[in-house]
Amino acid sequence: MRRWLLLIVSLLLLSSCVHEENHANSPIGNFEALWQIIDEHYCFLDYKQVDWDAVKRQYQPYITEDLSNDKLFQILGNMLAELKDGHVNLYANHNTARYWNWYEDYPRNYSEELVEKYLGHEYRIGGGLRYRILDDNIGYVTCTSFSSGIGNNALSEMLRYLDICNGIIIDVRNNGGGELTNADRLAGRFTNEKLLVGYMCHKTGKGHSDFSEPEPMYIEPSDGVRWQKPVVVLANRHSYSATNDFVNSMRYMPQAIIMGDQTGGGSGMPFSSELPNGWGVRFSACPMFDAEMQQIEFGIEPDIQVGLDPADQAQGIDTIIEAARAFLNKKS
Amino acid sequence: MQAHAQDGIVYTRATSYGLGFTSLQDTYLSPETYKGWEFRISRETLHQTKLMQGKIWQQTYFQGNFGYTDNRAENNKTATALANWNYGWYYRQPMTHNFYLLLGGAADLNGGFTYNMRNGNNPVSLRAYGSVDASVMALWDLQVKNRPLTLRYQANLPLLGLMFMPHYGQSYYEIFSIGERGGTVKVTTPFSTPSLRQMLSADYPIGKVTLRFTYVWDMQQAHINEIKSHIYSHIFMIGVVKRFQEL
Repeated sequence: MRRWLLLIVSLLLLSSCVHEENHANSPIGNFEALWQIIDEHYCFLDYKQVDWDAVKRQYQPYITEDLSNDKLFQILGNMLAELKDGHVNLYANHNTARYWNWYEDYPRNYSEELVEKYLGHEYRIGGGLRYRILDDNIGYVTCTSFSSGIGNNALSEMLRYLDICNGIIIDVRNNGGGELTNADRLAGRFTNEKLLVGYMCHKTGKGHSDFSEPEPMYIEPSDGVRWQKPVVVLANRHSYSATNDFVNSMRYMPQAIIMGDQTGGGSGMPFSSELPNGWGVRFSACPMFDAEMQQIEFGIEPDIQVGLDPADQAQGIDTIIEAARAFLNKKS
Repeated sequence: MQAHAQDGIVYTRATSYGLGFTSLQDTYLSPETYKGWEFRISRETLHQTKLMQGKIWQQTYFQGNFGYTDNRAENNKTATALANWNYGWYYRQPMTHNFYLLLGGAADLNGGFTYNMRNGNNPVSLRAYGSVDASVMALWDLQVKNRPLTLRYQANLPLLGLMFMPHYGQSYYEIFSIGERGGTVKVTTPFSTPSLRQMLSADYPIGKVTLRFTYVWDMQQAHINEIKSHIYSHIFMIGVVKRFQEL
Protein backbone atom coordinates (compact mmCIF):
# COMPACT_ATOMS: atom_id res chain seq x y z
CA MET A 1 0.00 0.00 0.00
CA ARG A 2 2.86 2.39 0.74
CA ARG A 3 4.02 1.85 -2.83
CA TRP A 4 0.61 2.89 -4.09
CA LEU A 5 0.60 6.03 -1.98
CA LEU A 6 4.17 6.83 -3.00
CA LEU A 7 3.23 6.45 -6.65
CA ILE A 8 0.22 8.72 -6.33
CA VAL A 9 2.12 11.37 -4.38
CA SER A 10 4.94 11.24 -6.94
CA LEU A 11 2.51 11.71 -9.78
CA LEU A 12 0.85 14.59 -7.95
CA LEU A 13 4.24 16.24 -7.60
CA LEU A 14 4.90 15.75 -11.29
CA SER A 15 1.62 17.41 -12.05
CA SER A 16 1.80 21.12 -12.55
CA CYS A 17 -0.47 23.90 -13.64
CA VAL A 18 -0.90 24.27 -17.39
CA HIS A 19 -1.32 27.99 -17.70
CA GLU A 20 -0.47 30.76 -20.16
CA GLU A 21 0.34 34.00 -18.40
CA ASN A 22 -2.13 36.78 -19.21
CA HIS A 23 -0.77 40.23 -20.00
CA ALA A 24 -1.88 43.15 -17.89
CA ASN A 25 -4.96 45.02 -19.05
CA SER A 26 -3.07 48.24 -19.65
CA PRO A 27 -1.89 50.00 -22.82
CA ILE A 28 1.51 48.31 -22.52
CA GLY A 29 -0.06 44.92 -21.69
CA ASN A 30 -2.45 45.13 -24.64
CA PHE A 31 0.36 46.18 -26.98
CA GLU A 32 2.51 43.26 -25.83
CA ALA A 33 -0.41 40.84 -26.14
CA LEU A 34 -1.18 41.91 -29.71
CA TRP A 35 2.45 41.81 -30.76
CA GLN A 36 2.80 38.31 -29.28
CA ILE A 37 -0.38 36.97 -30.95
CA ILE A 38 0.90 38.03 -34.37
CA ASP A 39 4.46 36.92 -33.62
CA GLU A 40 3.36 33.41 -32.65
CA HIS A 41 0.36 32.80 -34.88
CA TYR A 42 0.44 34.95 -38.05
CA CYS A 43 1.36 32.79 -41.03
CA PHE A 44 2.83 35.23 -43.58
CA LEU A 45 5.63 36.94 -41.63
CA ASP A 46 8.34 35.06 -43.54
CA TYR A 47 6.60 35.18 -46.93
CA LYS A 48 5.99 38.92 -46.67
CA GLN A 49 9.46 39.45 -45.20
CA VAL A 50 8.06 41.44 -42.29
CA ASP A 51 10.62 42.06 -39.55
CA TRP A 52 8.13 41.84 -36.68
CA ASP A 53 10.79 42.65 -34.07
CA ALA A 54 11.57 45.84 -35.94
CA VAL A 55 7.83 46.66 -36.06
CA LYS A 56 7.75 46.31 -32.27
CA ARG A 57 10.72 48.62 -31.90
CA GLN A 58 9.00 51.11 -34.21
CA TYR A 59 5.68 51.27 -32.36
CA GLN A 60 6.65 50.56 -28.74
CA PRO A 61 7.88 54.12 -28.02
CA TYR A 62 4.37 55.43 -28.68
CA ILE A 63 2.83 53.22 -25.99
CA THR A 64 2.54 54.82 -22.57
CA GLU A 65 0.38 53.84 -19.61
CA ASP A 66 -1.67 57.06 -19.85
CA LEU A 67 -2.62 56.48 -23.50
CA SER A 68 -6.31 56.94 -24.29
CA ASN A 69 -8.26 54.02 -25.74
CA ASP A 70 -8.74 55.85 -29.06
CA LYS A 71 -5.04 56.56 -29.41
CA LEU A 72 -4.07 53.02 -28.41
CA PHE A 73 -6.50 51.61 -30.95
CA GLN A 74 -5.08 53.83 -33.66
CA ILE A 75 -1.48 52.83 -32.92
CA LEU A 76 -2.31 49.13 -32.73
CA GLY A 77 -4.29 49.40 -35.99
CA ASN A 78 -1.33 51.06 -37.69
CA MET A 79 0.97 48.33 -36.42
CA LEU A 80 -1.30 45.65 -37.88
CA ALA A 81 -1.49 47.50 -41.21
CA GLU A 82 2.23 46.76 -41.61
CA LEU A 83 1.11 43.21 -42.47
CA LYS A 84 -0.83 44.43 -45.54
CA ASP A 85 -3.47 41.80 -45.03
CA GLY A 86 -7.23 42.13 -45.43
CA HIS A 87 -7.71 39.25 -43.02
CA VAL A 88 -6.05 41.20 -40.21
CA ASN A 89 -8.38 43.28 -38.08
CA LEU A 90 -8.69 44.75 -34.63
CA TYR A 91 -12.25 44.97 -33.33
CA ALA A 92 -13.46 47.34 -30.65
CA ASN A 93 -16.93 48.66 -29.96
CA HIS A 94 -16.03 52.06 -31.37
CA ASN A 95 -14.15 50.98 -34.50
CA THR A 96 -12.65 48.23 -36.64
CA ALA A 97 -9.05 48.59 -37.74
CA ARG A 98 -8.55 47.19 -41.25
CA TYR A 99 -6.27 47.16 -44.24
CA TRP A 100 -8.35 47.51 -47.38
CA ASN A 101 -5.77 48.97 -49.79
CA TRP A 102 -5.86 45.67 -51.71
CA TYR A 103 -9.04 46.89 -53.38
CA GLU A 104 -9.36 50.56 -52.42
CA ASP A 105 -6.18 51.42 -54.35
CA TYR A 106 -7.52 49.93 -57.59
CA PRO A 107 -10.42 50.52 -60.00
CA ARG A 108 -13.60 48.94 -58.70
CA ASN A 109 -14.57 47.37 -62.06
CA TYR A 110 -18.00 46.73 -60.65
CA SER A 111 -21.30 48.53 -60.48
CA GLU A 112 -24.17 47.13 -58.46
CA GLU A 113 -26.50 49.30 -60.51
CA LEU A 114 -25.31 47.70 -63.76
CA VAL A 115 -25.56 44.19 -62.32
CA GLU A 116 -29.16 44.87 -61.32
CA LYS A 117 -29.85 46.23 -64.81
CA TYR A 118 -28.55 42.99 -66.37
CA LEU A 119 -30.53 40.88 -63.92
CA GLY A 120 -33.72 42.84 -64.64
CA HIS A 121 -36.78 42.04 -62.53
CA GLU A 122 -37.46 38.45 -63.48
CA TYR A 123 -34.27 36.87 -62.23
CA ARG A 124 -34.34 33.78 -60.04
CA ILE A 125 -32.87 33.42 -56.58
CA GLY A 126 -31.65 30.06 -55.36
CA GLY A 127 -29.06 28.99 -52.83
CA GLY A 128 -27.89 32.56 -52.34
CA LEU A 129 -27.28 33.02 -56.07
CA ARG A 130 -29.21 35.32 -58.44
CA TYR A 131 -29.44 34.26 -62.09
CA ARG A 132 -31.23 34.68 -65.40
CA ILE A 133 -30.83 33.88 -69.08
CA LEU A 134 -29.68 36.89 -71.10
CA ASP A 135 -31.08 37.69 -74.55
CA ASP A 136 -28.22 35.98 -76.40
CA ASN A 137 -28.84 32.72 -74.57
CA ILE A 138 -26.01 33.20 -72.09
CA GLY A 139 -26.71 32.39 -68.45
CA TYR A 140 -25.74 35.07 -65.97
CA VAL A 141 -25.18 34.11 -62.32
CA THR A 142 -24.09 36.55 -59.66
CA CYS A 143 -22.73 35.40 -56.31
CA THR A 144 -21.98 38.26 -53.93
CA SER A 145 -21.08 36.20 -50.86
CA PHE A 146 -20.06 32.72 -49.83
CA SER A 147 -21.16 33.35 -46.25
CA SER A 148 -24.62 31.83 -46.57
CA GLY A 149 -25.08 28.16 -47.33
CA ILE A 150 -25.32 27.27 -51.02
CA GLY A 151 -27.68 24.31 -51.20
CA ASN A 152 -26.95 21.37 -53.48
CA ASN A 153 -30.56 21.13 -54.62
CA ALA A 154 -30.65 24.83 -55.44
CA LEU A 155 -27.47 24.47 -57.51
CA SER A 156 -28.91 21.54 -59.45
CA GLU A 157 -32.13 23.46 -60.10
CA MET A 158 -30.14 26.44 -61.33
CA LEU A 159 -28.01 24.41 -63.72
CA ARG A 160 -31.08 22.58 -65.04
CA TYR A 161 -32.71 25.94 -65.72
CA LEU A 162 -29.59 27.24 -67.49
CA ASP A 163 -29.13 24.01 -69.43
CA ILE A 164 -30.38 25.57 -72.66
CA CYS A 165 -27.67 28.25 -72.51
CA ASN A 166 -24.56 28.16 -74.70
CA GLY A 167 -22.42 29.18 -71.76
CA ILE A 168 -22.69 30.80 -68.37
CA ILE A 169 -21.09 33.69 -66.56
CA ILE A 170 -20.36 33.29 -62.84
CA ASP A 171 -19.91 36.82 -61.51
CA VAL A 172 -17.99 36.84 -58.21
CA ARG A 173 -16.90 40.46 -58.43
CA ASN A 174 -17.28 42.22 -55.09
CA ASN A 175 -17.67 38.87 -53.36
CA GLY A 176 -15.58 39.33 -50.22
CA GLY A 177 -15.63 35.62 -49.34
CA GLY A 178 -17.26 33.50 -46.66
CA GLU A 179 -17.20 29.77 -46.13
CA LEU A 180 -14.66 27.73 -48.08
CA THR A 181 -17.08 24.80 -48.14
CA ASN A 182 -19.62 26.92 -50.05
CA ALA A 183 -16.97 27.96 -52.59
CA ASP A 184 -15.90 24.33 -52.99
CA ARG A 185 -19.51 23.20 -53.41
CA LEU A 186 -20.05 25.62 -56.29
CA ALA A 187 -16.73 24.71 -57.93
CA GLY A 188 -17.69 21.01 -57.71
CA ARG A 189 -20.33 21.66 -60.36
CA PHE A 190 -17.67 22.28 -63.02
CA THR A 191 -15.53 19.18 -62.91
CA ASN A 192 -16.18 15.54 -63.75
CA GLU A 193 -13.18 14.26 -61.86
CA LYS A 194 -11.40 14.85 -58.59
CA LEU A 195 -9.14 17.82 -59.30
CA LEU A 196 -6.08 19.02 -57.43
CA VAL A 197 -6.50 22.78 -57.00
CA GLY A 198 -4.08 23.70 -54.24
CA TYR A 199 -2.45 23.02 -50.92
CA MET A 200 -2.99 24.13 -47.38
CA CYS A 201 -0.81 24.00 -44.30
CA HIS A 202 -0.81 25.31 -40.76
CA LYS A 203 1.58 26.49 -38.13
CA THR A 204 2.92 23.76 -35.86
CA GLY A 205 4.55 26.07 -33.33
CA LYS A 206 5.39 29.62 -32.39
CA GLY A 207 8.35 30.03 -34.76
CA HIS A 208 7.80 32.07 -37.92
CA SER A 209 8.82 29.08 -40.06
CA ASP A 210 7.05 26.32 -38.10
CA PHE A 211 4.70 24.88 -40.71
CA SER A 212 3.19 21.48 -41.41
CA GLU A 213 3.71 19.64 -44.68
CA PRO A 214 1.30 21.11 -47.28
CA GLU A 215 -1.84 19.03 -47.61
CA PRO A 216 -3.38 18.73 -51.11
CA MET A 217 -6.80 20.27 -51.62
CA TYR A 218 -9.13 18.71 -54.14
CA ILE A 219 -12.41 19.67 -55.71
CA GLU A 220 -14.65 16.62 -55.79
CA PRO A 221 -17.18 16.42 -58.63
CA SER A 222 -20.70 17.00 -57.39
CA ASP A 223 -23.18 14.13 -57.38
CA GLY A 224 -25.78 16.55 -58.72
CA VAL A 225 -26.03 18.35 -62.07
CA ARG A 226 -22.62 19.34 -63.44
CA TRP A 227 -21.98 22.05 -66.05
CA GLN A 228 -20.22 20.79 -69.19
CA LYS A 229 -20.27 23.88 -71.44
CA PRO A 230 -18.00 26.95 -71.34
CA VAL A 231 -18.05 29.15 -68.27
CA VAL A 232 -16.53 32.57 -67.64
CA VAL A 233 -15.77 33.65 -64.08
CA LEU A 234 -15.78 37.40 -63.52
CA ALA A 235 -13.47 38.70 -60.81
CA ASN A 236 -12.27 42.02 -59.50
CA ARG A 237 -9.97 43.29 -56.76
CA HIS A 238 -12.76 42.82 -54.25
CA SER A 239 -12.97 39.06 -54.97
CA TYR A 240 -11.32 38.04 -51.73
CA SER A 241 -10.69 35.19 -49.30
CA ALA A 242 -13.02 32.22 -50.06
CA THR A 243 -13.75 33.88 -53.41
CA ASN A 244 -10.03 33.98 -54.14
CA ASP A 245 -10.06 30.25 -53.40
CA PHE A 246 -13.06 29.76 -55.72
CA VAL A 247 -11.34 31.63 -58.58
CA ASN A 248 -8.21 29.57 -57.97
CA SER A 249 -10.24 26.35 -58.21
CA MET A 250 -12.08 27.48 -61.34
CA ARG A 251 -8.90 28.24 -63.26
CA TYR A 252 -8.10 24.51 -63.18
CA MET A 253 -11.44 23.64 -64.81
CA PRO A 254 -10.79 22.98 -68.51
CA GLN A 255 -13.94 24.74 -69.75
CA ALA A 256 -13.51 27.83 -67.54
CA ILE A 257 -11.66 31.08 -67.99
CA ILE A 258 -11.21 33.97 -65.56
CA MET A 259 -12.04 37.44 -66.83
CA GLY A 260 -11.99 40.93 -65.35
CA ASP A 261 -9.32 42.09 -62.92
CA GLN A 262 -6.90 40.40 -60.55
CA THR A 263 -8.53 39.06 -57.40
CA GLY A 264 -7.81 40.71 -54.06
CA GLY A 265 -6.13 37.63 -52.60
CA GLY A 266 -6.51 36.68 -48.96
CA SER A 267 -5.26 33.11 -49.00
CA GLY A 268 -4.67 32.80 -45.27
CA MET A 269 -7.58 31.26 -43.40
CA PRO A 270 -8.16 33.68 -40.53
CA PHE A 271 -8.28 32.76 -36.85
CA SER A 272 -9.56 34.90 -34.00
CA SER A 273 -8.00 35.92 -30.74
CA GLU A 274 -8.34 38.76 -28.26
CA LEU A 275 -6.53 41.27 -26.09
CA PRO A 276 -6.77 41.67 -22.31
CA ASN A 277 -9.12 44.65 -22.77
CA GLY A 278 -11.51 42.49 -24.83
CA TRP A 279 -10.70 43.88 -28.26
CA GLY A 280 -10.99 41.13 -30.85
CA VAL A 281 -8.12 40.30 -33.20
CA ARG A 282 -8.31 38.50 -36.52
CA PHE A 283 -5.26 37.27 -38.40
CA SER A 284 -4.25 34.90 -41.21
CA ALA A 285 -3.39 31.54 -39.66
CA CYS A 286 -3.38 28.79 -42.31
CA PRO A 287 -1.83 29.62 -45.70
CA MET A 288 -3.28 28.20 -48.90
CA PHE A 289 -1.39 27.80 -52.15
CA ASP A 290 -2.33 27.02 -55.73
CA ALA A 291 -1.74 23.61 -57.33
CA GLU A 292 1.82 24.64 -58.23
CA MET A 293 2.50 25.53 -54.56
CA GLN A 294 2.62 29.23 -55.43
CA GLN A 295 1.31 31.84 -52.97
CA ILE A 296 -2.01 33.46 -53.89
CA GLU A 297 -2.15 35.81 -50.89
CA PHE A 298 -1.86 38.87 -53.16
CA GLY A 299 -4.40 37.69 -55.74
CA ILE A 300 -4.82 35.73 -58.96
CA GLU A 301 -4.42 37.32 -62.37
CA PRO A 302 -7.29 36.79 -64.82
CA ASP A 303 -6.86 34.90 -68.09
CA ILE A 304 -8.35 37.88 -69.90
CA GLN A 305 -7.91 41.32 -68.35
CA VAL A 306 -10.94 43.53 -68.90
CA GLY A 307 -11.78 46.74 -67.08
CA LEU A 308 -15.10 48.51 -66.69
CA ASP A 309 -15.09 51.38 -69.19
CA PRO A 310 -16.61 54.55 -67.63
CA ALA A 311 -18.07 55.50 -71.04
CA ASP A 312 -19.82 52.12 -71.27
CA GLN A 313 -20.95 52.44 -67.65
CA ALA A 314 -22.52 55.83 -68.45
CA GLN A 315 -24.55 54.11 -71.15
CA GLY A 316 -25.66 51.30 -68.85
CA ILE A 317 -23.22 48.77 -70.29
CA ASP A 318 -21.02 46.54 -68.15
CA THR A 319 -17.88 46.17 -70.26
CA ILE A 320 -16.79 43.03 -68.43
CA ILE A 321 -20.13 41.21 -68.74
CA GLU A 322 -20.26 42.17 -72.42
CA ALA A 323 -16.73 40.82 -72.97
CA ALA A 324 -17.76 37.56 -71.32
CA ARG A 325 -20.89 37.31 -73.49
CA ALA A 326 -18.86 37.94 -76.64
CA PHE A 327 -16.33 35.29 -75.59
CA LEU A 328 -19.01 32.69 -74.90
CA ASN A 329 -20.94 33.48 -78.09
CA LYS A 330 -17.76 33.11 -80.08
CA LYS A 331 -17.11 29.75 -78.38
CA SER A 332 -20.58 28.47 -79.27
CA MET B 1 -20.92 1.91 3.70
CA GLN B 2 -20.46 -1.09 5.93
CA ALA B 3 -21.05 -4.36 4.13
CA HIS B 4 -20.00 -7.91 4.25
CA ALA B 5 -19.77 -10.45 1.46
CA GLN B 6 -21.90 -12.96 3.26
CA ASP B 7 -24.74 -10.40 3.48
CA GLY B 8 -25.04 -10.16 -0.30
CA ILE B 9 -23.97 -7.30 -2.56
CA VAL B 10 -24.70 -3.83 -1.22
CA TYR B 11 -25.17 -1.10 -3.80
CA THR B 12 -24.86 2.60 -3.05
CA ARG B 13 -26.35 4.77 -5.74
CA ALA B 14 -26.33 8.56 -5.60
CA THR B 15 -27.60 11.23 -7.94
CA SER B 16 -26.31 14.73 -7.24
CA TYR B 17 -26.72 18.22 -8.65
CA GLY B 18 -24.32 21.07 -8.15
CA LEU B 19 -23.27 24.59 -8.93
CA GLY B 20 -19.90 26.18 -8.69
CA PHE B 21 -17.12 28.25 -10.15
CA THR B 22 -14.98 27.45 -13.14
CA SER B 23 -11.89 28.96 -14.67
CA LEU B 24 -10.99 28.07 -18.24
CA GLN B 25 -8.12 28.73 -20.60
CA ASP B 26 -7.66 27.22 -24.05
CA THR B 27 -4.97 28.84 -26.17
CA TYR B 28 -6.50 27.39 -29.35
CA LEU B 29 -9.40 29.77 -28.76
CA SER B 30 -7.82 32.64 -26.84
CA PRO B 31 -4.82 33.45 -24.66
CA GLU B 32 -7.24 34.91 -22.09
CA THR B 33 -8.58 33.12 -19.02
CA TYR B 34 -12.37 32.88 -18.83
CA LYS B 35 -14.20 32.64 -15.50
CA GLY B 36 -17.80 31.89 -14.65
CA TRP B 37 -20.25 29.37 -13.27
CA GLU B 38 -20.76 25.70 -13.85
CA PHE B 39 -23.69 23.36 -13.40
CA ARG B 40 -22.94 19.71 -12.82
CA ILE B 41 -24.93 16.52 -12.47
CA SER B 42 -23.47 13.22 -11.33
CA ARG B 43 -24.65 9.68 -10.85
CA GLU B 44 -22.59 7.13 -9.02
CA THR B 45 -23.00 3.47 -8.25
CA LEU B 46 -20.54 1.86 -5.82
CA HIS B 47 -20.80 -1.71 -4.77
CA GLN B 48 -18.97 -4.61 -3.32
CA THR B 49 -18.36 -7.63 -5.55
CA LYS B 50 -18.03 -11.30 -4.70
CA LEU B 51 -14.40 -11.35 -5.81
CA MET B 52 -11.68 -12.03 -3.23
CA GLN B 53 -14.15 -12.58 -0.41
CA GLY B 54 -15.78 -9.25 -1.05
CA LYS B 55 -12.58 -7.19 -0.98
CA ILE B 56 -13.01 -6.01 -4.55
CA TRP B 57 -15.36 -3.07 -5.10
CA GLN B 58 -16.62 -1.55 -8.31
CA GLN B 59 -17.64 2.01 -9.11
CA THR B 60 -19.48 3.51 -12.07
CA TYR B 61 -19.40 7.28 -12.02
CA PHE B 62 -20.96 9.61 -14.56
CA GLN B 63 -20.68 13.39 -14.58
CA GLY B 64 -22.14 15.93 -16.98
CA ASN B 65 -21.26 19.57 -16.64
CA PHE B 66 -22.06 22.82 -18.41
CA GLY B 67 -20.02 25.95 -17.86
CA TYR B 68 -20.63 29.51 -18.99
CA THR B 69 -17.70 31.87 -18.64
CA ASP B 70 -16.68 35.47 -19.34
CA ASN B 71 -13.39 36.93 -20.43
CA ARG B 72 -11.62 39.52 -18.29
CA ALA B 73 -13.24 42.41 -20.15
CA GLU B 74 -16.64 40.72 -19.84
CA ASN B 75 -17.44 41.31 -23.51
CA ASN B 76 -17.16 37.72 -24.72
CA LYS B 77 -18.29 34.34 -23.45
CA THR B 78 -17.52 30.69 -23.82
CA ALA B 79 -19.83 27.75 -23.26
CA THR B 80 -18.38 24.42 -22.21
CA ALA B 81 -20.10 21.07 -22.02
CA LEU B 82 -18.35 17.90 -20.92
CA ALA B 83 -19.55 14.39 -20.22
CA ASN B 84 -17.32 12.16 -18.12
CA TRP B 85 -17.73 8.45 -17.47
CA ASN B 86 -15.59 6.38 -15.10
CA TYR B 87 -15.58 2.66 -14.56
CA GLY B 88 -13.33 1.64 -11.70
CA TRP B 89 -12.27 -1.41 -9.71
CA TYR B 90 -10.87 -1.20 -6.19
CA TYR B 91 -9.23 -3.31 -3.53
CA ARG B 92 -10.77 -2.47 -0.17
CA GLN B 93 -8.36 -2.45 2.75
CA PRO B 94 -9.70 -1.84 6.27
CA MET B 95 -7.35 0.41 8.22
CA THR B 96 -9.40 0.43 11.42
CA HIS B 97 -12.85 -0.91 12.28
CA ASN B 98 -14.48 2.09 10.57
CA PHE B 99 -11.85 3.52 8.22
CA TYR B 100 -11.13 1.96 4.83
CA LEU B 101 -8.87 2.66 1.91
CA LEU B 102 -9.93 1.64 -1.58
CA LEU B 103 -7.10 1.52 -4.08
CA GLY B 104 -7.55 0.80 -7.73
CA GLY B 105 -7.88 2.03 -11.24
CA ALA B 106 -10.55 3.38 -13.52
CA ALA B 107 -11.30 3.79 -17.17
CA ASP B 108 -11.97 7.51 -17.64
CA LEU B 109 -13.73 8.69 -20.83
CA ASN B 110 -14.53 12.33 -21.66
CA GLY B 111 -16.32 14.08 -24.51
CA GLY B 112 -17.47 17.63 -25.01
CA PHE B 113 -16.56 21.04 -26.35
CA THR B 114 -15.78 24.63 -25.51
CA TYR B 115 -17.44 27.16 -27.80
CA ASN B 116 -16.14 30.70 -28.06
CA MET B 117 -19.03 33.00 -28.97
CA ARG B 118 -16.93 35.47 -30.99
CA ASN B 119 -14.33 33.47 -32.86
CA GLY B 120 -14.56 32.95 -36.63
CA ASN B 121 -12.70 29.93 -38.01
CA ASN B 122 -11.57 28.68 -34.58
CA PRO B 123 -14.83 28.93 -32.63
CA VAL B 124 -14.73 25.57 -30.94
CA SER B 125 -12.35 23.31 -29.12
CA LEU B 126 -13.55 19.73 -29.20
CA ARG B 127 -12.76 17.63 -26.16
CA ALA B 128 -12.41 13.91 -26.66
CA TYR B 129 -10.05 11.97 -24.42
CA GLY B 130 -9.81 8.87 -22.38
CA SER B 131 -7.35 7.40 -19.95
CA VAL B 132 -6.59 4.76 -17.41
CA ASP B 133 -6.57 6.45 -14.01
CA ALA B 134 -5.02 5.60 -10.69
CA SER B 135 -7.80 6.04 -8.19
CA VAL B 136 -7.93 6.11 -4.43
CA MET B 137 -10.81 6.41 -1.97
CA ALA B 138 -10.81 6.85 1.77
CA LEU B 139 -14.03 5.92 3.60
CA TRP B 140 -14.79 6.78 7.20
CA ASP B 141 -17.94 5.49 8.84
CA LEU B 142 -18.95 7.58 11.85
CA GLN B 143 -21.91 8.05 14.14
CA VAL B 144 -23.35 11.52 14.78
CA LYS B 145 -26.32 11.74 17.11
CA ASN B 146 -26.79 7.99 16.73
CA ARG B 147 -27.06 8.32 13.02
CA PRO B 148 -24.52 7.05 10.47
CA LEU B 149 -22.31 9.59 8.79
CA THR B 150 -20.07 8.43 5.94
CA LEU B 151 -17.23 10.67 4.92
CA ARG B 152 -15.42 9.92 1.71
CA TYR B 153 -12.49 11.35 -0.19
CA GLN B 154 -11.73 10.24 -3.75
CA ALA B 155 -8.99 11.22 -6.18
CA ASN B 156 -8.61 10.10 -9.79
CA LEU B 157 -5.34 10.72 -11.55
CA PRO B 158 -5.03 9.96 -15.30
CA LEU B 159 -1.91 7.90 -16.01
CA LEU B 160 -2.02 6.87 -19.65
CA GLY B 161 -4.50 7.68 -22.35
CA LEU B 162 -5.37 9.21 -25.69
CA MET B 163 -6.56 12.72 -26.48
CA PHE B 164 -7.77 14.48 -29.60
CA MET B 165 -6.09 17.84 -30.14
CA PRO B 166 -5.67 19.86 -33.35
CA HIS B 167 -2.19 21.04 -34.21
CA TYR B 168 -1.07 24.46 -32.96
CA GLY B 169 -2.54 26.53 -35.79
CA GLN B 170 -4.63 23.89 -37.53
CA SER B 171 -8.20 24.65 -38.53
CA TYR B 172 -11.07 22.20 -38.17
CA TYR B 173 -11.61 22.74 -41.91
CA GLU B 174 -8.29 20.99 -42.50
CA ILE B 175 -9.16 18.17 -40.14
CA PHE B 176 -12.72 17.45 -41.20
CA SER B 177 -13.03 18.84 -44.77
CA ILE B 178 -9.57 18.13 -46.19
CA GLY B 179 -9.08 15.13 -43.94
CA GLU B 180 -5.66 15.99 -42.49
CA ARG B 181 -6.00 14.13 -39.20
CA GLY B 182 -2.41 12.93 -38.71
CA GLY B 183 -1.09 13.69 -35.25
CA THR B 184 -4.40 14.92 -33.88
CA VAL B 185 -4.73 11.97 -31.49
CA LYS B 186 -1.89 11.87 -29.00
CA VAL B 187 -0.86 9.57 -26.19
CA THR B 188 -1.25 11.33 -22.86
CA THR B 189 0.75 10.97 -19.67
CA PRO B 190 0.74 12.88 -16.37
CA PHE B 191 3.33 15.16 -17.95
CA SER B 192 1.17 16.23 -20.93
CA THR B 193 -2.19 16.03 -19.13
CA PRO B 194 -1.56 16.64 -15.43
CA SER B 195 -5.21 16.37 -14.47
CA LEU B 196 -6.82 15.43 -11.19
CA ARG B 197 -10.40 14.97 -10.04
CA GLN B 198 -10.98 15.12 -6.30
CA MET B 199 -14.21 14.75 -4.35
CA LEU B 200 -15.04 15.09 -0.70
CA SER B 201 -18.48 13.89 0.30
CA ALA B 202 -20.59 13.36 3.38
CA ASP B 203 -23.62 11.04 3.45
CA TYR B 204 -26.01 11.76 6.29
CA PRO B 205 -29.62 10.69 6.83
CA ILE B 206 -32.13 13.47 7.33
CA GLY B 207 -35.54 12.06 8.03
CA LYS B 208 -36.01 9.03 5.84
CA VAL B 209 -33.65 10.29 3.16
CA THR B 210 -29.89 10.01 3.07
CA LEU B 211 -28.43 13.14 1.58
CA ARG B 212 -25.00 13.47 0.04
CA PHE B 213 -23.10 16.75 0.24
CA THR B 214 -20.13 16.85 -2.10
CA TYR B 215 -17.35 19.25 -2.90
CA VAL B 216 -15.69 18.55 -6.25
CA TRP B 217 -12.34 19.97 -7.26
CA ASP B 218 -11.90 19.12 -10.89
CA MET B 219 -8.64 20.03 -12.61
CA GLN B 220 -8.53 19.08 -16.30
CA GLN B 221 -5.32 20.15 -18.02
CA ALA B 222 -3.51 19.48 -21.27
CA HIS B 223 -0.38 20.72 -23.00
CA ILE B 224 -0.41 18.97 -26.37
CA ASN B 225 0.60 20.11 -29.87
CA GLU B 226 1.79 23.40 -28.31
CA ILE B 227 -1.78 24.13 -27.22
CA LYS B 228 -2.39 24.73 -23.54
CA SER B 229 -5.77 24.21 -21.96
CA HIS B 230 -7.15 23.96 -18.47
CA ILE B 231 -10.53 23.86 -16.80
CA TYR B 232 -10.48 24.30 -13.02
CA SER B 233 -13.84 23.76 -11.33
CA HIS B 234 -14.95 24.03 -7.73
CA ILE B 235 -18.44 22.58 -7.41
CA PHE B 236 -20.74 22.13 -4.44
CA MET B 237 -23.26 19.37 -4.96
CA ILE B 238 -26.21 17.93 -3.13
CA GLY B 239 -27.85 14.62 -3.86
CA VAL B 240 -29.80 11.67 -2.63
CA VAL B 241 -28.24 8.34 -1.74
CA LYS B 242 -30.02 5.03 -2.13
CA ARG B 243 -28.70 1.80 -0.69
CA PHE B 244 -29.98 -1.55 -1.71
CA GLN B 245 -28.85 -5.10 -1.37
CA GLU B 246 -28.75 -7.84 -3.97
CA LEU B 247 -28.82 -11.28 -2.46
